[in-house]
Amino acid sequence: MAIVQTKNLSKVYNPDTVPVHALRDVSISIEKGEFTSIVGPSGSGKTTLLNMLGGLDKPSSGSVWVNGKEITSMKESDLIDFRLYNIGFVFQHYNLIPVFTAHENVSFIMLLQNRSKKEIKERADELLEEVGLGDRKNARPVEMSGGQQQRVAVARALASEPKFILADEPTANLDSTSAMNLLDIMSRMNREQNVTFVFSTHDQRVIDRARRVITMVDGAIHKDEYQNVEETKTG
Amino acid sequence: MKTLLTIAWRNIWRHPARSGVLLAAIVAGLWAGVVTVGIINGLLQQRIDYMIESEITHAQIHHPEFLAEGYSWLHIPHHDEIINWLENDSRVVNYTSRTITDGMLQSPVKTSGVRIRGIDAETERQTTTFHENLIEGEYLDSDVPSAIIIGAELAAEHNMETGNRVVLTFEDINNELTSGSFHIVGIFRSASVEYDRRNVFVRSDEFIELLGDQPVFHEIGIMLGHEEQAGEVTADLNSRFAGITAQTWRQLSPELSMLVELGGVMVIIITMIIMAALAFGILNTMLMALFERMREIGMLISIGMSKIRVFSTIMFESVMLTLTGTVAGFVLAWGTIRYLSGSGLNLEMFADGAAQLGWDHVIYPELTPGEYVIILSVVILITLMASVYPAIKGIRINPLEAAKNT
Repeated sequence: MAIVQTKNLSKVYNPDTVPVHALRDVSISIEKGEFTSIVGPSGSGKTTLLNMLGGLDKPSSGSVWVNGKEITSMKESDLIDFRLYNIGFVFQHYNLIPVFTAHENVSFIMLLQNRSKKEIKERADELLEEVGLGDRKNARPVEMSGGQQQRVAVARALASEPKFILADEPTANLDSTSAMNLLDIMSRMNREQNVTFVFSTHDQRVIDRARRVITMVDGAIHKDEYQNVEETKTG
Repeated sequence: MKTLLTIAWRNIWRHPARSGVLLAAIVAGLWAGVVTVGIINGLLQQRIDYMIESEITHAQIHHPEFLAEGYSWLHIPHHDEIINWLENDSRVVNYTSRTITDGMLQSPVKTSGVRIRGIDAETERQTTTFHENLIEGEYLDSDVPSAIIIGAELAAEHNMETGNRVVLTFEDINNELTSGSFHIVGIFRSASVEYDRRNVFVRSDEFIELLGDQPVFHEIGIMLGHEEQAGEVTADLNSRFAGITAQTWRQLSPELSMLVELGGVMVIIITMIIMAALAFGILNTMLMALFERMREIGMLISIGMSKIRVFSTIMFESVMLTLTGTVAGFVLAWGTIRYLSGSGLNLEMFADGAAQLGWDHVIYPELTPGEYVIILSVVILITLMASVYPAIKGIRINPLEAAKNT
C-alpha cells in the first residue's frame, strides 16, 4: 500500500478573478521507503504539491491519501492531530523554536504526543547523536549554523516517528558542505531505517541523490522516473 | 502545560527592551494605583475613625424621635436602668450621657444657630477623644462656673476669645424659651470647619438645671471592645428597653457607612482605569510579537500543535508578563504603603483646604490583603480580555506561513 497518494489533484488560485492553475490533475503514489525529489522550475507547483501532501493546503479538486486515509476531507482540528502522528516537516528556513535548545526543539513534538519523559529524553538524545549534534544539544538556534539548524529540524521531523517526511527545499539556504552533510544524513536514515522522504528542490546535488525524481512543469507531472544512485559519504 | 509555560516565559524575554518597557509601565501604573487606593482608604478610614472616636462612638441611644425632631423634651426614658445595664455588659468599654438641644448663641457681634451639647467632662473624656481638639484655654473640667467651649470658626465669626461671655437661648423641656450666660473657657478645632461653626459644649449638670426640673439625657454614646459588636449590642438594647432607639454608627451616619462601601468600589474603579490604559499596551505588545512570529506559529500548527495549545501559549505569555509587572508593582506599593502607614503622608500644604472639608492633612495609607486580591483579580481579568484578540489572531494563522520562502 502506498504511504501517500494523490488522485487527480488540482489547485486553482483566484478561481473567480484571474485563475492560476497551480496543480493540474496530479496523480502520484509514493511507497514506503522511497527517497523522492520533486523538481521543476519556479512556479511549477512543487511547493503546492508538497503542501497538499502535508495537509497544509486544500485542493480545488481531487484527493490526498496518507496511509490509506483520505486527508482532504478532514476537519482542520483532526488534520492537525493527523499531522502530529503521521507527517514530518523540514522547512527551507529550518523554523526551529528560537527560545528552545536543540534538545528541546526535538523533544517538543514528542511532548505534543504526550509521550513519557524518559522516552522523550532518550529519543531526543539518540536523534541528535544520529544527526551529529550530540554535543550541541543545549545550543539554541541562534548559536548554531544553518546546517546544524537544519539537522535539528530533520531530527525533529523524525522524532514523531511519522509515516513520511516532507522537506521543502531543505538545502536552499545551506552552503555546499552543509547541504551534502544533510543529504548524507537523510539518505542514511532512508537506507538504514526505511524512512520515507519527499522533498522539493532545485538543487542538482539533491536531485542526484534521489532514487525517484518527479519533474513538474506548469502544475502537471512532466516526468516521473527512478534512477540509480551511488551512495557516497561526504565530509 | 509546563512546556507551554516555558515557551511563554522565554518568549517574553526575546525582546527584553520591549517587554521591559511594558513591564515598567505595568509596575509604575500598578504602584501608582495601589498607593492611590491606599491613600484613599487611609483618608476614608481616618474620617471614619475620627468621627467614631471623637463623637459618634460605636453605638448611640436616643428617644426614637429625637434625631428627626431635636426637641429637648424627647429625652431618653429609663436612663438609669440603661446605664446600669451598660455598666454590667462586658462588651461595653465606656459610655457617656449627653444632653442636647438646638438654640441660639448671642454675642455683642451677632447671633448664630448652634447645637448645644451638655456633656459630662469626665465620662466624655473616657469615651471619646473630643478633648484633644482643644486648641486654646481649658476643657469643661475647669473651675469656672457656667463654662462653655466653642469652635474656632464660631469664635472668629463672633470675634470672641476665652474669658468672654456669650448667651445661649433655647427651649426647655416644658417648651418654654429660656437662656443662660456662659463663660468661654476653651476653643476647639475639629477636622470639620462646619462642625466647629455649629457646635458648642457646656457641662451637662449646669445645662440640665436650665432645661427643666429633672435630669434629662438625649444621647448615650457607647464605645465597645470591637466595632463588629455594635449590631448585637444595639439589638439587645432595643429588645430590652422600650421607648428608645439604639443604633450603630453605620445607622447613625449613613454617609460614613457609604464611605466604607466607597472604599471598596474605589479599589476596583481605580484598578480598572489603570489596567484599561495598560490593556492597550499589552494588546500592542502581543500583536507585535504575534506578527513577528507568524512563521513560527505556522510551523507549530504545521507540525501538529493544536489550536487550543497555541491559544493557551499566547494567553500565558501575556498573563505571565502582566503578573511579573504586577508582582513588582505590588512589592513596590506594599513597601510604600508600609512606610507611609508608619510615618504618615503629610499634606500640610493642603491643610486649610482639607480642614474646610473635614479632613486631616496627615494621611496614613492602608490596604488590606483582601484588597490586594481584588486588584490582582481585576488585573488578571483585564489582561485576559486584552489577550483574547491576539490569541484568536494567533490560532487563525495559516500553517502555510511556515512554508513561505520569504
